[in-house]
Amino acid sequence: MANVPFLGLKTHSQKVCSLFKRTLRNLEAFYDRRNVYRYQAVLMRERFDKNAQVKDMRVATQLLKQGEEELFLQQHSIPRKFPLSPGGVAYERVVQSPDWVLDYWHPLEKAQYPEYFKRREERKKEFIAMWEKEYGKEEKKDQHH
Amino acid sequence: MQKFSICFISFFVLFSFSMINIFFFSYFVMNNLVYILEWELISFSSMSIVMSILLDWMSLLFMMFVSLISSVVIFYSKSYMSSELNLNRFIILVLLFVFSMILLIISPNIISILLGWDGLGLVSYCLVIYYQNIKSYNAGMLTALSNRVGDVFILMVISWMMNYGSWNYFFYLDFMVNDYMMMMISVMIIMAAMTKSAQIPFSSWLPAAMAAPTPVSALVHSSTLVTAGVYLLIRFNSLLIDMFFFKVLLLLSGLTMFMAGISANYEFDLKKIIALSTLSQLGLMMSILSMGFPDLAFFHLLTHAMFKALLFMCAGVIIHMMNDIQDIRFMGGISNFIPLTCLCLNVSNMALCGIPFLAGFYSKDLILEMVSMSNLNFFIFLLYYVSTGLTMFYSFRLTMYLMINDFNLLSVYNLYDEDYVMLKSMFTLMMMSVLSGSMLMWSIFSYPYMIYLPLNIKLMVIYVSILGAFLGYLMSNMNIYSMNKYLKSYNLSSFLCLMWFMPNLSTYGLNFYFLNYGQLMLKNIDMGWSEFYSGQGLVLILKNYTVFYSFFQMNNNFKIYLFSFVLWVCFLMMFMMIYLNSL
Repeated sequence: MANVPFLGLKTHSQKVCSLFKRTLRNLEAFYDRRNVYRYQAVLMRERFDKNAQVKDMRVATQLLKQGEEELFLQQHSIPRKFPLSPGGVAYERVVQSPDWVLDYWHPLEKAQYPEYFKRREERKKEFIAMWEKEYGKEEKKDQHH
Repeated sequence: MQKFSICFISFFVLFSFSMINIFFFSYFVMNNLVYILEWELISFSSMSIVMSILLDWMSLLFMMFVSLISSVVIFYSKSYMSSELNLNRFIILVLLFVFSMILLIISPNIISILLGWDGLGLVSYCLVIYYQNIKSYNAGMLTALSNRVGDVFILMVISWMMNYGSWNYFFYLDFMVNDYMMMMISVMIIMAAMTKSAQIPFSSWLPAAMAAPTPVSALVHSSTLVTAGVYLLIRFNSLLIDMFFFKVLLLLSGLTMFMAGISANYEFDLKKIIALSTLSQLGLMMSILSMGFPDLAFFHLLTHAMFKALLFMCAGVIIHMMNDIQDIRFMGGISNFIPLTCLCLNVSNMALCGIPFLAGFYSKDLILEMVSMSNLNFFIFLLYYVSTGLTMFYSFRLTMYLMINDFNLLSVYNLYDEDYVMLKSMFTLMMMSVLSGSMLMWSIFSYPYMIYLPLNIKLMVIYVSILGAFLGYLMSNMNIYSMNKYLKSYNLSSFLCLMWFMPNLSTYGLNFYFLNYGQLMLKNIDMGWSEFYSGQGLVLILKNYTVFYSFFQMNNNFKIYLFSFVLWVCFLMMFMMIYLNSL
């Protein structure tokens, strides 16, 4: 949360929106009942809205910096994360190995599933044929440096 | 074919094994039998390496509990892990775990204890990293390295035991008490037990190990593996009484109990809350052990194993139902949807709190009354009673969050128990966590403890429990009625929330330096100088000499080569003559 680059290639309004969203997520972690959270979120929105009309960019940047500082100091020790999003408990829990890994099996390993690999080779040939029919053959000259 | 899956077969074998054990347990305890089987492997220099098996009521009863819980957990994981591709690997790992545990239980020999102990460490590492994401890898490394410290202490005990010429510590316990040098062993054994049972300097691995699948947490990280340290100390108990270090252990385990109780109140991860409560109960076992009541510690170990495994299994059902969500802030009101699971959850929570006539009551109440009877200072007394109140506190908070409050994740939802496989296994354990307390109380204590206390001290447990329950109720609703207390005392709260910063200290503070040093060693020694001198350097020298000699051969310079050889032989002869003349 706090390691989002402060001087990123974002516009000022994007930064403020990002800060607002992260603040809400932080509030969600603190106030777990929905109605209480809504009340706190409205209060927070009011604090943001109060400074929405600031035209002087120097002041606005300063306010943003203060907001980030306050968020950093008040972050929850155990932030509320959805399990499948980054930082969650089940993030990348189930590993799905890519299809090409099967091509790197040892012949002895492949021999344990003869029918599957026979069909797989056929399918690969069919796929290449389909590909070449649709997009043409690969140009040979590209393979040389 | 589906009927005879690996889960069912393992369940059947383990369950039968546990039934056999309960039969032998009652036979042994009735006739007061102890069997020791010995098989001498090798003997040299008046040392004998013996493989031995100790069967007494304690090992049989513990084996019965371990195999019962593991059979039920395997039965449960048939449904819990049903979407898993590597189910066989999982079950085999669990079986390996049970095997190592049994090896640890039945051995009165420190070498075979090391085998079981190391097996437990290794298998628990493999089980923690069963899910292959970064969180699991970090947790697994923390677990393995923390347990490794204990393994090293056991190894040192083995080398120190060489003084006696045998590693059957069982026969030497009485001699060792009087031997100052042999006190080394007891210190090292205590340190080893502290790592396995996650006492204070080493306790950060236990909540981290919750990255493992939930059946593993139910079997390994709540009921059996973590009690291995307590069991070891129970076996070594006669060696440890009247030791200064045991008083230190009393303090540390009391603090563990207190710390875990407080942290459980700040934690929001369902499994981590239960893990912290396990830690708290482990502290209780360790502390009553260090006061010199090994049978009470063993009693609490067994009853705790039952209801804690059940608690984890209920948590597993909830996590499964909520699509892997573990955060209790997302949950609420689930007792309307899964009443049977909530029944089990409530029973195990109540047993954990020590509500009368459930399993936890018999052991916990007895322990607390023995504490009140002992001459301890006020601080230890306070730690015990505050921790008991805290147990009630976090259990009630958990119950309120899970069952009373509103469901907090989605606005449209339908939750349900998925099948009867998990429910059946949970009900087995629920029966046990209702019955096992009284059952064990009647069977393992040959005579009752005499307890004589004033009324208020006797009722102190009830007082702190009621206070804890009330606070737990308030705490779960605290956010609704007032401003956030967490923010008001932010520093203190995050200190307590993060287990007194112990995970940070034992990762960045400790393991980090050793891992860094190891990397430096790998770079400079293993892949650096030793490679330069032995592997590649030798090749280089050989190659250079070969090039040098081939210069004589390839350019047809045999004459020079032979001449130099003959010259060398002549020199050799000359020196030999000189040498022989000088004799």
